[in-house]
Amino acid sequence: MAVSETVAATPPAATPTPPAPSRRRRGRNAAYWLYLLPGAVLFLLVIGAPLVGTLYLSLTKWSGVGDPRWVGLDNYQQLLQDDVFWASFRNTVWMLVAMVVVPTVLGLLLAAVLFDVIGRRFKPRTAAALRAAFYLPQVLPVVVAGIVWGWILRPDGAFNSLLDAVGLGALRHDWLGDPGTALPAVMAVMIWVQIGYPVVVFMAALQRVDPELYEAAEVDGANWLHRFRAITLPQIRPETFVVALTCTIAALKVFGPIFALTRGGPDNATNVPSYFAYYTFFKKLQVGYGSAISTVLTLIIVVVAGVFIWMQARSERRDRGF
Amino acid sequence: MQRFRRLVAAIALAATATTTVAACGGGDNGDSNDAKVLKLWHYESENSAMGVGWNRAIELFKSEHPGVEVRFERKAFEQIQQNAGMIINSSEGPDIMEYNKGNATAGLLSSQGLLADLSSEADKRGWAGKLSPSLQTTARYSDKGVMGSGKWFGVPNYGEYVTVYYNKDLFQSNGVKVPTTMAEMTAAMDTFVGKGVTPLGMAGAEYPAGQLFYQLALSKGDRQFVDNYQLYKNPVDFKADPLKYGADTFAQWVQKGYVAKNSASLKAEDMGTAFIGGKVPMIVSGSWWYGRFKTEMKANWDTFLFPGNTLQAGSSGNLWVVPENSKAKSLAYDFIDITLRPEIQDLIGNNGGVPVAADASKISDPKDRKLIEDFNTVSKSDGLAFYPDWPVPGYYDVLVSGFQGLINGSKSPDQVLDTIAKPYADGVKEITGK
Repeated sequence: MAVSETVAATPPAATPTPPAPSRRRRGRNAAYWLYLLPGAVLFLLVIGAPLVGTLYLSLTKWSGVGDPRWVGLDNYQQLLQDDVFWASFRNTVWMLVAMVVVPTVLGLLLAAVLFDVIGRRFKPRTAAALRAAFYLPQVLPVVVAGIVWGWILRPDGAFNSLLDAVGLGALRHDWLGDPGTALPAVMAVMIWVQIGYPVVVFMAALQRVDPELYEAAEVDGANWLHRFRAITLPQIRPETFVVALTCTIAALKVFGPIFALTRGGPDNATNVPSYFAYYTFFKKLQVGYGSAISTVLTLIIVVVAGVFIWMQARSERRDRGF
Repeated sequence: MQRFRRLVAAIALAATATTTVAACGGGDNGDSNDAKVLKLWHYESENSAMGVGWNRAIELFKSEHPGVEVRFERKAFEQIQQNAGMIINSSEGPDIMEYNKGNATAGLLSSQGLLADLSSEADKRGWAGKLSPSLQTTARYSDKGVMGSGKWFGVPNYGEYVTVYYNKDLFQSNGVKVPTTMAEMTAAMDTFVGKGVTPLGMAGAEYPAGQLFYQLALSKGDRQFVDNYQLYKNPVDFKADPLKYGADTFAQWVQKGYVAKNSASLKAEDMGTAFIGGKVPMIVSGSWWYGRFKTEMKANWDTFLFPGNTLQAGSSGNLWVVPENSKAKSLAYDFIDITLRPEIQDLIGNNGGVPVAADASKISDPKDRKLIEDFNTVSKSDGLAFYPDWPVPGYYDVLVSGFQGLINGSKSPDQVLDTIAKPYADGVKEITGK
């Protein structure tokens, strides 16, 4: 416990009282807005205008050509009764498990083991090589990874051949073609894709932790698990928030792997909101309805991001003691 | 701040001026007989049958229109599929373009007034005489954009149809004769199953499953059924034959091992490469595979029409359409006319394509000739029944999902028919308002 007290005892940052703004300073501050202008214009063009456009279209019925017809909230009412929409959100919960929960927990453990065990007992190069190996799937374009995994998991693919080779041929299966196994198979692929990201972020975070904390803990007789709980976890909390937030957003809007692996099938077993929106937009030519799905998805992402940022700010305030 | 305001004012002025100038230049939608540029877009690869034929057509067009520049751009299929509405609604679009046939594509754009009415040209230039009634179905659209009647909004110059490809060597080594009836077909498949060979290649994750289901349904269907299903002439009962027969028989074929139970996740490419690799003796698929098999397959192979069917899944190929905004409509019509000439049609046929107006005797390779003769037989007997996913937008994925359920055994034929009936009814209601 001595260790965590040491951490908590860090004095809060001094908060200087801001000087009263003079007229000249206000004028100078106003000039800064000029520098923000390009970013603001780009934001309006790339994010603001499409967002407003999507919101407007979500209140219309439109096939993509001709004039949209105003239908008010009809699309949203229809959405609430759409089984596929709800199924896609149920699948998103599983994608959150595969892309946030498992990679974050596993990534944390792997990073700690690589940093604290492999890095110390072997050469640092070994830990770096293993880190790169974990990160490799992140470098691959996700659609390429999806296609390759599609080959691996197909009925005559490498995975079934492997089962044959180790005497488990009875378990051969059409992994992506069966509604019962398609989602777990996609989740496994997503864990493989995601795992490298938290490992790299957490290892970078661990490098900024003062080694004296670990040494002091070892002198006090703390074993690896104690050190992990009392030092590693609290010290890298900001990075944990960042990883959890970015992975959550990635999971909510996941599209590429689903498109490459299953196209939402079989029987919507792997459908997700972004693929459902794409399908509604471009295949069914129901642009208004697709916009309603996109709007709901955007809203959820903004709310989730807001909650994460609020939690992170609260955690930082608590750490600083105010 | 004064300078900032001036800057904003200058930007606004420049933007307004640019827009005004652009508006002045883009307002002319009329055709000009003395146009000196023909902007032509299509999405066929250079060495495909159509690509070869159309390259020659461009050469002929240039020689017959000295002083006219052809600005050809090869586009991606998806690029045109997803953006055609916006493209041809602008002043940046082509004067003539290859575009997908069907209600959700050419039909939709024609109903919005974005495509030029080609009816008078079709009469004047004799295009109507070169295309059989079932080929004309995809060229003509009603005011609501439903194919089969109304004005001409596109012209096809090649065709496609679903046939049975078979591996002659595997047939011979397993002592199987080429079937000519459905009874012989099932007997042939039983023989293969008895020898541990899955007779029919399949790909549940893409179109092949839906097309096999449709071929089976067509064996119990007639033109009235096709008109009801594709052209909404009458309501379609999914729980009755021919669709019920199609789903039931498909399920039986899976149960009997004619179709592999673990093929639900396979894609059409997997099915094609399995056939090329000699892993399956037969596949039921489209003539679009023909050129590829001819190039890549080492074993002896050939085709036969789906036994016993007078109707076959198939249609015209994609269409030449002329955007209403085209500034070189006359040149565009001239180009279409060239692509329908015997020289170009024979060229398409001699490169493994299926021309719509070719003289089969001019096709040198006997196998190519047979492919075209089979098509001509189907086309002339009004036997093209289009494709099962055509009736409503998004129906392709509905069928894929449904038949994946039949292949992996997670759904009964009745459940599959329910699954595919509702989106059909919803889609038809959306289009016809009934």
